Amino acid sequence: MMRGTCWVSDDYVMAYDIIIQEYWTSAIDPKDNSKWVMAGVKEEFNKENAFKDNGYTFIVAAHNFAGGGKSIEHVITGLMGAGIQAVFATSFARLQFRNAINYGLPFVTCDDIDKGCETGDELEYNPDTGIIKNITKGTEFQSVPAAPFVAEVGEAGGLMNYVRDKIAKGETIE
Amino acid sequence: MGMTITEKIMARNSGRDSLAPGELVWTDINSVMTMDYLGKTCFDKFKSLGKKEVFDKNKVICVSDHLVPPPNQKFATMLNEWREVVKEHDITNFYDLGRQGIAHQIMVEQGHVLPGTISIGTDSHANTYGAVGAVGNAIGVTDAAVAMATGKAWFRIPQSVKFNITGKWQPWVMAKDLSLHIMGMMHWNGHLLYKALEFTGPAIESLSMAGRMTLCNMTVDLGAKNGIVAPDKITERYLRNRTSDAWEMITSDEDAEYDQVYNIDVSDLGPTIAMPGKLDDTQPIEKLIGQKFNKAFVGTCTNGRLEDFAAMAEIMKGKQVHRDVNMILVPASQTVYLEALRAGYIETLVEAGAAVDTPSCAACAGIHTGVAGDGDIVLSAGNRNMTGRMGSKKAEIYLTSPSVVAASAIRGEITDPRTFDI
Repeated sequence: MMRGTCWVSDDYVMAYDIIIQEYWTSAIDPKDNSKWVMAGVKEEFNKENAFKDNGYTFIVAAHNFAGGGKSIEHVITGLMGAGIQAVFATSFARLQFRNAINYGLPFVTCDDIDKGCETGDELEYNPDTGIIKNITKGTEFQSVPAAPFVAEVGEAGGLMNYVRDKIAKGETIE
Repeated sequence: MGMTITEKIMARNSGRDSLAPGELVWTDINSVMTMDYLGKTCFDKFKSLGKKEVFDKNKVICVSDHLVPPPNQKFATMLNEWREVVKEHDITNFYDLGRQGIAHQIMVEQGHVLPGTISIGTDSHANTYGAVGAVGNAIGVTDAAVAMATGKAWFRIPQSVKFNITGKWQPWVMAKDLSLHIMGMMHWNGHLLYKALEFTGPAIESLSMAGRMTLCNMTVDLGAKNGIVAPDKITERYLRNRTSDAWEMITSDEDAEYDQVYNIDVSDLGPTIAMPGKLDDTQPIEKLIGQKFNKAFVGTCTNGRLEDFAAMAEIMKGKQVHRDVNMILVPASQTVYLEALRAGYIETLVEAGAAVDTPSCAACAGIHTGVAGDGDIVLSAGNRNMTGRMGSKKAEIYLTSPSVVAASAIRGEITDPRTFDI
């Protein structure tokens, strides 16, 4: 069970704005990437640690979260480094949806979640049932539960751990 | 029930007879591409998996494209670290400065992508590989590291969407115009999220490999998983001298199921332009005739090929770039550069007052040569136009085809190449 406050974004938050151009060539490192995460999304986040210092646990978004076609993993590590434990959205962009699975960060698809939450609301997420509770408003949403493979990768702490373990045990990947 | 070309390729490369959208499989990977600014991280991650040698030294393709030639010390140092790690792993196919090109151009042009197979790359425009009837997919460094170690990647089978393209292409109208038209029609990253886009029909069968690459390249910008054109005689002719590996002509079954089917007649399609800031905000050129700009840019994995240089040379021969315009042209690879030189296109374009830069991603990603500054209005044949993409957030980028950029650069304002006096 995860619990904490959420930040509600506008529609179409782009990967480009989550990690701005000048940090694309930096190392993939949660601590480092989180310093300037969201810098291009809102002017108020365009300061060192500005997003991170809010201490949000969840992000709630509408369509096409992390879109714009950028495959860099800094987007995911930046969010994780800032303390984000799950992102709930109506839809996600493919490249970052994949990266999130590979890092074990739940990107959870949930219809209309954006209309039922305000920044600062306290939410509770149960990954087993997919139920998201808005404690502040006393409402509840049913999200799409993770596919078995996605849950397995999540439990392993990401695809690197999942594959490393298989290689160490001499198991084939299929 | 029949399968689409993408489903068949996924099935064949995961040892299955059949499969359906939504299923999750691990597939064999033909080639894994990585490039200068992310490559070292790929190899570091690969090493951390406990393997010493990559799955196939001939199938891990390394390219220097985003950072070459290094414009600053930071990039020069990154390139040195990159070269060291490629050498350490004894990679056969390393396209470094001097033999370089934009990774996606290199992958197709050098025969590293084969019809009926799956290849991945750590850059979003890896969708380009669909031009030869392969599944090309953009992935992050984690997937690349895993594929380097195992020769495999996981995929969820996408639903397929068919674009049936008919009619006769108007003069100077290019594949790019069709890409932008579809962008405007479908809206950016909207209905096509996760989908496999299949381009078919008479107007695709007559399309050159360069055009097919442009079309598949921009499917990532539609939010799709991949874009693909079934292999045919054009594919066969293109690949004949580029690879000695065997490959199969896989095509969709007659009774394959599609999530959606769209019909587009290109006879009605004119030059199309995406407005600054949003790719899906497209307009027919008629609405923008006379719009001034001060920078013209043609290059990138979308439009830096020989055919693009040929079109520009034909339009610009014996003319001069307008005095208020700086024109920068960047061939997509050293091979394209050499072919354009031999054909006389480069001479014609330099005589016309265009600057030609060495092959690289150049200003497309805003981190290399020719970036946009405050107040610049750029007419670009690249692939993205969001605010700040080519540098300054105070610059505007109009996206269009090379033929529109060429005609417009002469006049100093957006000009329809169909009515331009050539």
